[in-house]
Amino acid sequence: MNTQTSSRLIALAAGAALALTACGPGAAAPAATSAPAKPTKLTVLCTVTEDWCVAQTKAFEAKTGIKTTFTRLSSGEAATKLKATASNPEYSVWWGGPADGFVQAKGDGTLAAYKSPNAAKIPDKAKDPDGFWTGVYVGALGFCSNKVELDKLGLQPPTSWDDLLNPKLKGKFSVAHPATSGTSYTMVWTQVVLRGGEDKAFEFLTKLHPQVSQYTKSGAAPAQAVGRAEAVVGVVFSHDCVAAVDAGFKDVVVSFAKEGTGYEIGAMGLVKGAPEEAAAKMWIDWALTAEAQEIGPTAKAYQLPTNPDAKVSDRSVKLSSVNLIDYDFVKAGQAKKGITTKFEEAIAAQPK
Amino acid sequence: MLKRRAIDPTLAFGLIFAILFVAIAIVYPLVRVLGTAFEPAAGPYFERFLLRPTFQTIIGRTVVLGLTVGLAGTLLGFLWAFVQARVAAPAWLKRVLHLIALVPSVSPPFAVAISMIVLFGRRGMISYGLFGIEGNVYGLPGMTVVMALSFFPVVYLTMVGLMRALDPAMEEASANLGGSKVRTFLRVTMPMLLPGLASSFLLLFVEAIADLGNPLTIGGDYVVLSARLFIAISGEYDLLAAAVLAVILIVPALGVYLVQKYFADRASVVSVTGKPAGSVALVTDWRVRWPLLALNVFIAAFIALVYVTMIAGAFTRLLGIDNSFTLNNFSYVLSGLGSEAMLDTTRLSAYSTVIAGFLGMLIAFLVVRMKFFGKGLLDFGTMLGIAVPGTIFGIGYLLAFNDPTRVAGFTLIPKLTGGQALLAGELAIIMVFIVRSTPAGLRAGVAALQQIDPSLEEASVSLGANRAVTFGRITLPLIRPAFLSGLVYAFARSMTTISAVIFLTTPETKIMTQQIYAETDAGRFGNAFAYIVILIGIVLLVIALLQTFIGLATGAERRVKSEN
Repeated sequence: MNTQTSSRLIALAAGAALALTACGPGAAAPAATSAPAKPTKLTVLCTVTEDWCVAQTKAFEAKTGIKTTFTRLSSGEAATKLKATASNPEYSVWWGGPADGFVQAKGDGTLAAYKSPNAAKIPDKAKDPDGFWTGVYVGALGFCSNKVELDKLGLQPPTSWDDLLNPKLKGKFSVAHPATSGTSYTMVWTQVVLRGGEDKAFEFLTKLHPQVSQYTKSGAAPAQAVGRAEAVVGVVFSHDCVAAVDAGFKDVVVSFAKEGTGYEIGAMGLVKGAPEEAAAKMWIDWALTAEAQEIGPTAKAYQLPTNPDAKVSDRSVKLSSVNLIDYDFVKAGQAKKGITTKFEEAIAAQPK
Repeated sequence: MLKRRAIDPTLAFGLIFAILFVAIAIVYPLVRVLGTAFEPAAGPYFERFLLRPTFQTIIGRTVVLGLTVGLAGTLLGFLWAFVQARVAAPAWLKRVLHLIALVPSVSPPFAVAISMIVLFGRRGMISYGLFGIEGNVYGLPGMTVVMALSFFPVVYLTMVGLMRALDPAMEEASANLGGSKVRTFLRVTMPMLLPGLASSFLLLFVEAIADLGNPLTIGGDYVVLSARLFIAISGEYDLLAAAVLAVILIVPALGVYLVQKYFADRASVVSVTGKPAGSVALVTDWRVRWPLLALNVFIAAFIALVYVTMIAGAFTRLLGIDNSFTLNNFSYVLSGLGSEAMLDTTRLSAYSTVIAGFLGMLIAFLVVRMKFFGKGLLDFGTMLGIAVPGTIFGIGYLLAFNDPTRVAGFTLIPKLTGGQALLAGELAIIMVFIVRSTPAGLRAGVAALQQIDPSLEEASVSLGANRAVTFGRITLPLIRPAFLSGLVYAFARSMTTISAVIFLTTPETKIMTQQIYAETDAGRFGNAFAYIVILIGIVLLVIALLQTFIGLATGAERRVKSEN
């Protein structure tokens, strides 16, 4: 409440200063210096790995002097959190996580439009035409497997979604819960596209259910489970699998579905009614720069940048070598609520 | 002369504070949950939850989990207590066993689960590393083991107290009349312990169905009510669904708790029959003694192993995969976020410990010594804090305090939860901590006060001190052991709880258990272990401090008593 009132006061003061400027140049000089109220604080809702959240907020803080705090939540949780706090938002910018979630949030009315001048560089496919979200990175969905464990089972790394149904993988497959994780929802929507409709996709997911040891909350978690050999195969964004290798899990390998795999455009958006709107806009402008998009790899996050000027880490996936499906973020986002609720009731809670 | 006094003005302030606290922090949020669940719009949810087979399965599983954990934990606690109280064993061994049993009560409940994955998972260091078996800790058996190990200490402490308080004269009489030892045990000792066992079983039942951390960590496909509730809030933010699920969860939890209280009251009748007349004949027959000792030592070693694993895991890169020594986990945890969470949690727990400690004693004093209308309600209202699962308080607080409470345009209670809340949401977290930890202090205080003759207090009053001074200068020092145990419990409970606060943390205020859960879920076990080690370290340190400063005289008293 307090900060809101004070920012309103500052806005008023700024307005008054502008009015003075219009009156006469002489009076304007002292007022103008105090007018651009420098933001001091920013609260980010962060949906990438904790490490990257830390690195990115620290870099922003160092650059701007704005004290930046964040909460890491998985994509589904973040969208619901924004909805829950819509009457009195606590976050100013939501950064990271598949665009599907942002489409859903736009529908919920929890995001505000902001077209950053820096967004001109970003390809059209990777941003909302109305400016409610802008893409900051791209990642492709992959299979993350433990090579040693696969050898023991006499299997090769999966190259097709149906490979996951192999009876030898019963209880040894890991994926997140689509209600909380955007990664997992990307997998679900990929099935909808590839199999031609929700019903067919749910047929597949029902068959996949007995293979799963535990639906995790966050999307990247299966990579660690695979590294630890708790699971043999997991579905994650391929960059999360590469990060697991970096973390010391040497036996982990990435592969892709030959019939096609889904991908994400990791997005960000301004929260509607943001308590620190000015700072949030600065964040959005900055996050689209090449400099900001090169921070990821320093925190073991090998997503592809959306800014064509940003250097691409050689550990990032080469999209040309992967068969990507035609992923409609708008359709996927609009169907999200219905699909995740259905998943929780028709699949997750079923005995195997 | 247990004559109860009418309240004098000095205590009226205390009474009003206690009543206001119970009304605002406990009753009001629960009323909001009930109110939301019985809105007309919630009708279809009840239908959906109670009539669909999927949800009947979830409810069935929740009950089964309560039963298995209740059974396993009670057996474990009984074994421990029996060995302590009734089996001949070297004093040092008993001491070690006693200490090992206390460790789970100062660690977050799901800490055990993470160790179990590392030790007994598919590629567990023991299950696979030593025996080549692919373990599976996900699901009902894994959860039963983990929860039984996490929750049994309370059973052990209750049972060992009961067994020591039993009058051996009864057993001697049985023996003198020709009853064999086995017969004496089954026909004389056990019936006296039965109410205590029943109450322990039911208490664990409630703990098990209320637990959230373990079902989320190793529940697997065994989805129970609390986990479903978590998804309803965290994945769907459907407060209506959450409130309905909460009501479905309250019914067995509160019902079982009330039955438990009935048994517990009967058990305590046994415990206050006075000092034992003779000394207990310890079991020396090797056919009984050795198997019991062996079993107890085996399980104790198992618990020790679980905790050693946490320490080892905290200092290695990837326990079980890359066992090289590292301090990275600690530097990750101690820099930035982790240290903030650590300081915040410790600070908030400390505030609530002080308040809960005094509040527990105050309410105990009011309930035992004073005469006023609604006394039973005050006692019952306070106890709701532990009888009602923590997740339900989380939802209740979201419903009650997410917007300011206004009456006729006047802000009665400001916004307490979420960002932009009063004190960055700290007040709500402190309130929940107090709510969850006051009941234990209250019970300890009531038990202590009932054994202290009010004549000392009456002397103080007739010498001119008012009631408040008497409470502070006479009563509190007399019940210091209860006060101390209330404080210790409050701190340990606040530091290790997750279910009640997971929905209440804000961007500015982070809680350690929640960070541990986040690290666990993301699979970064090294960081989780480092957090756990630090958390246990803080709890032990604070307990030691409390005992040094408050327990000094207590220790002396105890020594005097034992010399008598």
